[in-house]
Amino acid sequence: MYLIEKNRVLDIAVELRKDYDLFGPIIEPSTKQVFFDSIDEINEIRLSAPIPSNPPKLIFFPQMEKIISYKYDKVSKNVEIEPVFNERARALFGIRSCDLMGTQCLDRFFLGGEFVDEYYRNHRKKMFIVTNTCIKPFKQCLCVCTDSGPYAREGYDLNLTELGEYYLVEVGSEKGNALINRMSLKKAGKEHDNEKIKKINESIGLFDKIAVDSKAWISRVVNRVTTGLLEEEFWESIGKQCFECGACSFVCPSCSCFNIEDVRTDGSGHERFRCWDSCSYEGYSRMAGGHNPRKPIEDRRNKRFFCKLSYSQSKKYLRPGCVGCGRCAWVCPGDIGLPIVTESIRREFHKKADSYE
Amino acid sequence: MNYKPGICTFCGTGCGHLLKVTNGQINGVFPSQNHPVSKGRLCVRGWNIHELLNTRARITTPLIKKNDKFEKATYDEAISYLIEKLLEYSDSTAKELGFLASPRSSNEENYLFMKLARAVFKNNNISLISDTGHRNSLNVLEKGTGMAGMLGSLEEISKCEFILVVGMDITELNPIIGSEIHLAAKRGATLVTIDRRKTEIAELSDKFLFVRPASGKLALSAFAKVLLEENLIDTDYLKKFTEGHSEYIELVKSLDYKDIITKTGCNIDDIKEIAREFGKAKSGMAFFPSGISGFDKDTISHIFNLFLLSGKIGREGCGVNPLTGINNLQGSCDMGIAPDLLTGFQRLNDNEILTKFSKYWNTELNPILGIPVYDMLYENIRGFSKAIVLVDFDEGVARGAHQMEKVEFIAYIGTYENEVTHLANVVLPTASYVECDGTFTNAERRVQLTEKKLEPKYDVLPAWKLYAKIAEKSGMKWNYESPSDIMKEIADLTPSYSGISYDKLRNSYGIQWPCDKDHPDGTRRIDIKNSKSKYKFAALTGKFKTPSGSEDFPYLLIIGRALDYWQKNNIMKHTFIPLREYNATLLLYPEGYIEISSEDAKELQVRDYSPVRVKSPYGVMETKAMVSDRVKPDTVYVPYFVQKMITEFLFQHREIMHYRELDVIPVKIIKV
Repeated sequence: MYLIEKNRVLDIAVELRKDYDLFGPIIEPSTKQVFFDSIDEINEIRLSAPIPSNPPKLIFFPQMEKIISYKYDKVSKNVEIEPVFNERARALFGIRSCDLMGTQCLDRFFLGGEFVDEYYRNHRKKMFIVTNTCIKPFKQCLCVCTDSGPYAREGYDLNLTELGEYYLVEVGSEKGNALINRMSLKKAGKEHDNEKIKKINESIGLFDKIAVDSKAWISRVVNRVTTGLLEEEFWESIGKQCFECGACSFVCPSCSCFNIEDVRTDGSGHERFRCWDSCSYEGYSRMAGGHNPRKPIEDRRNKRFFCKLSYSQSKKYLRPGCVGCGRCAWVCPGDIGLPIVTESIRREFHKKADSYE
Repeated sequence: MNYKPGICTFCGTGCGHLLKVTNGQINGVFPSQNHPVSKGRLCVRGWNIHELLNTRARITTPLIKKNDKFEKATYDEAISYLIEKLLEYSDSTAKELGFLASPRSSNEENYLFMKLARAVFKNNNISLISDTGHRNSLNVLEKGTGMAGMLGSLEEISKCEFILVVGMDITELNPIIGSEIHLAAKRGATLVTIDRRKTEIAELSDKFLFVRPASGKLALSAFAKVLLEENLIDTDYLKKFTEGHSEYIELVKSLDYKDIITKTGCNIDDIKEIAREFGKAKSGMAFFPSGISGFDKDTISHIFNLFLLSGKIGREGCGVNPLTGINNLQGSCDMGIAPDLLTGFQRLNDNEILTKFSKYWNTELNPILGIPVYDMLYENIRGFSKAIVLVDFDEGVARGAHQMEKVEFIAYIGTYENEVTHLANVVLPTASYVECDGTFTNAERRVQLTEKKLEPKYDVLPAWKLYAKIAEKSGMKWNYESPSDIMKEIADLTPSYSGISYDKLRNSYGIQWPCDKDHPDGTRRIDIKNSKSKYKFAALTGKFKTPSGSEDFPYLLIIGRALDYWQKNNIMKHTFIPLREYNATLLLYPEGYIEISSEDAKELQVRDYSPVRVKSPYGVMETKAMVSDRVKPDTVYVPYFVQKMITEFLFQHREIMHYRELDVIPVKIIKV
């Protein structure tokens, strides 16, 4: 563990920039919206800005990514394929713990199964992650309900925690260690660790007052969602409010659905893109021949919450699918973000329980 | 930082977004959290706009047709050819040349296109490729209040106590406005939908009045009748702020409840309950479709009169709100794309106005009102169009692609590849909206600027530069350095836009007109405190003709155009995911379908996918049945998007069809 003065913390970013393309929290000047995006000037970085509106998955799982270009010659029946791999490594500076958890879910999806996604692996294996502890929550946060914050426990190369005049810098990997050794930082002591724990507890204590938008007792509904002991009418009422826009999947740090699209370029060339898709779309699960296992909208909504909250899905991710970032709540036109649906599920059950008396 | 703020250009909501620009391409989109209307939401189209903006299906070079084949040309060559041909057709009678503008073009582009037609070619035959449905709404509102645009404000939906959605599948057409309404209802506002078909918003409403086809305005009049009978009228408001109510009140009083019940097919208690809640509410808004699926003048007048009677115009949370389905439909009307208007709804036949424009443009203008271009295509009486200049033709809204084949000379100006370009004699490509600056005016009169994000992908000119070039080659030099200069000119000539400038628009979320000396920051909504004269009740026909079936033709067939526009829309074809989603039903029923209620299906002994023959006094077609309870018994529904159905069946009815959405055809259905 090390210490770095608060006004020097961006030196870490400067050091990273020598070998990596730098990404971090930045405020778009015209709309004042916080993004996690590429950094051109170090002084653009706003480490203590509110949780970024976009999930950092945008960086290693882009919304639209060219994966190959190919040419097919009909006469010679010859195909030329050129894969597109982004070469330079990327550093994520100042990612929050909820987003890191989402990244770990995506890691298990793209890398942990029978098929390894080459493009994802290429982005990920060279990535450097610097997490930033949330010493206070934001209005939309609910990481304390999903065991994904307010601090990162593993999976980072460096972890920062603001302790008054200093940042505590914890090393989480060889890569992190190597970088720190290039900078001459003061070593931290046990008292700093204790201060960190104090800060975290203070942060958790602030949730009641500050994080008012999205509180949800996730653990209570895991059982209901897993066992499916919910009436059809419930999912129908949720489905009625769904505008089928796809926003929830797009902003969710652990959502991974995508579509493959081929575009003709000039001449005989084509390009293949991987684009974000969403299970809330009717066409997403439709198969050749017309069969669609999730045609009614309520089936698609049911599926989403199963993915995020059920025990069976959690086994795949090794943690709940929801990371408590609160983004789905503010992008949803129908106001059926995860927190509010969780509360509705609880109320359904209390209603049912009451009716038995 | 790769995300640059902009405005979504699909529908008339005008949501705010940010586009990711990397490697000279648009590679992503993200919603704008702080935008006052969209507040961080986007719909399926908005979330996938990068697919459209990334398409290679662009027109990349000017083309001239020689011996039935297209040959590449330079802009200079193509423009010279265009001018040469247009001059042939533009004589003083000007009955042979027409200009069809696009409701998707920016304000600056439409303004210059209009200026080109009027100042350079002395021609007033300029129309929009979409229907003039929106003009009906604007005409009624302008006559009644002086404002040729939505009376309320989208930001005030959250303050509205009673929201009425009339005949609009709002969550599909303008989803984010539908979302605002849904959220207001969740927070306690009363949401009532009146429709002849059960839409998504109907299912989300507190009360849904499932009316028989063409009886909507009777239901609205019934509300007024209840308000009068139960003394729920604000007589103070009526006296102080309105005039001309006696005819309306007389008409409403003369209605008979028994008649109302028969014609609307609704329960009188439901009508009375809704009317009472409406009367007691302190604020109310009406939303209805305007444009391709818009209403006739009489229905709009009924909506207006009801709301005026109840004191729900000119106050907070109130408004009569026609919603434009296409991004710049309102702006196009503002820019004078009409045979009888100049900008800002200023009348062409007003001598003072015409002189003002003539002086500013430094040329004599043709004072004779133009002919609507669609009239020129269909009727030989008012002059037959031999030449047309077409901008961004969109099969989803434009009619008469086959009529175009009879036109001698067609010039096509546009950005994306299109099925109609092969009909053209000369093609001039333009840059897409992210390749130049431009403003767009949404349904609530909000003029928003979207700035250039990247250089034109191909060697193409932005439309404003193209029009300026055409003018220059015709002998008229316009000195615009940028679209900002064009807006300066628009502001100079248009009272409602006079306070708008790019400096004000940059780094803002747009300005709602009227924006002038009295309202330097724009006008959210019409306000009784600022009205210079009393609001006038609209004149009504007094007729409530509701069609009914006969013994031979017992079912009433209604046609749906609105949603299906998005399925046929030309730009939608260049996307993947939105196209896939809009095509969902088409893939299940490739030969089209006719929606039949389960009650009727049982009687006819048909099931879902049963082949049926649909016969009317004018024509016949075969299609598949779709059994659904989104239609009332005795009503059947046919969507407009299946080509065969349009050309074969509906074409046979073209003589009797005037108002598409309101058209009702009595049919009989036979199981095949």
